[in-house]
Amino acid sequence: MKQQYAIRSLIVVAGLAVAVVAVIVQIIRIQTSEQAAVFLSQGDRYAGEFQMFYPERGEIYDRNGHLLAGNRTVYEVGVSLREMASPEAMAAALSANLGLTYDEIYKQLTQSPETWEYVVIQDYVPVDAVDKLKKLVEQLDNADDPRLSGLAFKPHLQRSYPENALASNVLGFVTRDGRGYFGIEEKYNDLLAGNPVQIWVPRDPNKATEIPRVPNGTSLVLTINRDLQAKVESILDEALSEYGAQNGTIIVTDPRNGEILAMAATPRMDLNNYGNYFSLYDNGSQYNRAIGTTYEPGSVLKVLTMAAALDAGTVRPETTFIDTGAIEVGGITIQNWNRDAWGEQNMTGCLQHSLNVCLAWISSQMGSQSFYGYMDRFGLGHPTGVDLSGEAPGRLKRPGDGDWYPVDLGTNAFGQGIAVTPLQLLTAASAIANEGRMATPHVLYSMLRDGHQYNVPSQYAGSPISAETANTLNEMLAVSLEQESSMALLPGYRLAGKTGTAQIPTDYGYDGFHTNVSFVGWGPVDDPQFMVYIWMEQPSTSIWASETASPVFSKVVEQTVILLNIPPDVVRSQVTK
Amino acid sequence: MQGQATQIIHAYKQAPWRVQRQWVGIFLLLVIGVAMIAALYLDVTARTAVTGREIQEMRVQITTIQRETADLETRLADLTSTAAMERRAVALGYRPVQPGELDYVAVPGFVKPEPAILLAAKDVSPQTDTLPAEYTQSLLEWLEDRVKFGGLR
Repeated sequence: MKQQYAIRSLIVVAGLAVAVVAVIVQIIRIQTSEQAAVFLSQGDRYAGEFQMFYPERGEIYDRNGHLLAGNRTVYEVGVSLREMASPEAMAAALSANLGLTYDEIYKQLTQSPETWEYVVIQDYVPVDAVDKLKKLVEQLDNADDPRLSGLAFKPHLQRSYPENALASNVLGFVTRDGRGYFGIEEKYNDLLAGNPVQIWVPRDPNKATEIPRVPNGTSLVLTINRDLQAKVESILDEALSEYGAQNGTIIVTDPRNGEILAMAATPRMDLNNYGNYFSLYDNGSQYNRAIGTTYEPGSVLKVLTMAAALDAGTVRPETTFIDTGAIEVGGITIQNWNRDAWGEQNMTGCLQHSLNVCLAWISSQMGSQSFYGYMDRFGLGHPTGVDLSGEAPGRLKRPGDGDWYPVDLGTNAFGQGIAVTPLQLLTAASAIANEGRMATPHVLYSMLRDGHQYNVPSQYAGSPISAETANTLNEMLAVSLEQESSMALLPGYRLAGKTGTAQIPTDYGYDGFHTNVSFVGWGPVDDPQFMVYIWMEQPSTSIWASETASPVFSKVVEQTVILLNIPPDVVRSQVTK
Repeated sequence: MQGQATQIIHAYKQAPWRVQRQWVGIFLLLVIGVAMIAALYLDVTARTAVTGREIQEMRVQITTIQRETADLETRLADLTSTAAMERRAVALGYRPVQPGELDYVAVPGFVKPEPAILLAAKDVSPQTDTLPAEYTQSLLEWLEDRVKFGGLR
């Protein structure tokens, strides 16, 4: 009996052993089969996903910490098609809140390819619209109504400009693909955007891996003073309206370090609606006319000619010139703006009365090599290097160029036949206000990254004239403004400056009816702390800069001294004592 | 006497139930050991999984908070924009100052402040140290680590 049980037990044990061995063999076979690799790779595919981590785009502040460009939450609104219970209700709810038609949404929900599990209805939806939808979903959920099941909101950031159109020409804008266009947004796009990082993120919480830090884009602090910028834009708009000008530019800088405090240009656009770009601008050079558009500046350039002549020793302030009303240069006769003869004049008188004949005589006395050498050192024909995208270099013809004629030596001396941007001429003239030294104009004050502030040092762009020459001309220009009783003057402050009324070149010679009016000036004369450049295109109430650009200069200075806390000269002299 | 003792020892050693009990004892010891290790392993992996999940959730929270902070900053800037502040000032009865209305007072030794640190230069990215190995290692990896580098830390 015992033996019989023993045999049965052995058979059972053997059977179980065979089964166990078979299972083990099968396990090994499956694990090492060709299909196993396929299944493993399929498993790996769902074990996690590569996620791209985009850093938050850096913010842009004015010099006093006011936000000029930030980021705002917007939503991608989509529907999970598998969870969707009622396409009709979904389409009705979304069309009521997203501004899309019912048919449009219904078609997306019902006619999407079968393989699609999720469909995006609209992106960049503002918070207000999403809040309404969320409330609706919540109400239905509370009532156990599944009609909006599957509705999903994915938040993300979008560039936003709290000041709308303020300083739009300086800031530029960012499109939905995250790329900056024009101004600061384009120039510093790489810094602002930061570096996106792609990381493998496992779904298995056991395999929680550390996600490396994705630093935000660098935030930038500009030299722009928001309040001054607003005032200057307001003054420019009023001036264009008052004088019937087509477009205009006003720049305010600190001549000591090249910081741009305000830069207004027209037209401006609301940066939150950058889709208007094509209706406002014909081409990119018009986006910021202060740096992108060149023009013949006219008599404002006389300050550079006089600076060059004084520095070269060709003339001195007291040098006299007998103005006969005409001078021949290169076989062409040059006349004064009013075609009159002004008789004996010293160099201050030549500037005060803006005598073309006198300045043409001066450049002729200097000779082309010396004159163009100075103009080159003043930076004409070269970009200033301002840290804004889209700067035009201007054009300075020189002897030897195919389109240079001997008469150009005379006409260039009073700003004809030469193309500059407003910022270029302002930078050149800053040498006169800043003891012979030009500072590279810039709008970047500092960078904020990883909790640290890096101030950007000013860069000097050369010294085309000596400090002595600069001081001499500074005084001459102040005297000429005072003697002229210019509309550019502001009580309490001694200012220096020069008007420019320039004819406009066309394909058929100069336009006889329209002008460009300009003014370059600075103050206080004994310690220049600001420089202002005005350019208005084709004013219709008066063609003269002395009647249009000069009063605008005075208004800008009036606001500048208030907002920069620059006391009148009398008060400053008391403080100095 | 000695013969009797040898007989008892021999009988004891040869007793089948004693041998079986020894084997059962060893087997149970092994089972208990394995069960303890399994329980420990289960506990550690469960805690790791929970912590890992918490990390994932916190990561989402960080992203959300960063986004909300950026959004709130921009909303605040909307409320304090030049146009908004001017509207509020006018509504409160203020008007722009005119040059003649300003009085300047000379203060000996006063130096006009330069724009220095202009704002809280924030770093919104979390400054986390590397995740401790305890949160990422399995028990076997931990044991392997101990074997390789020796000793307990």
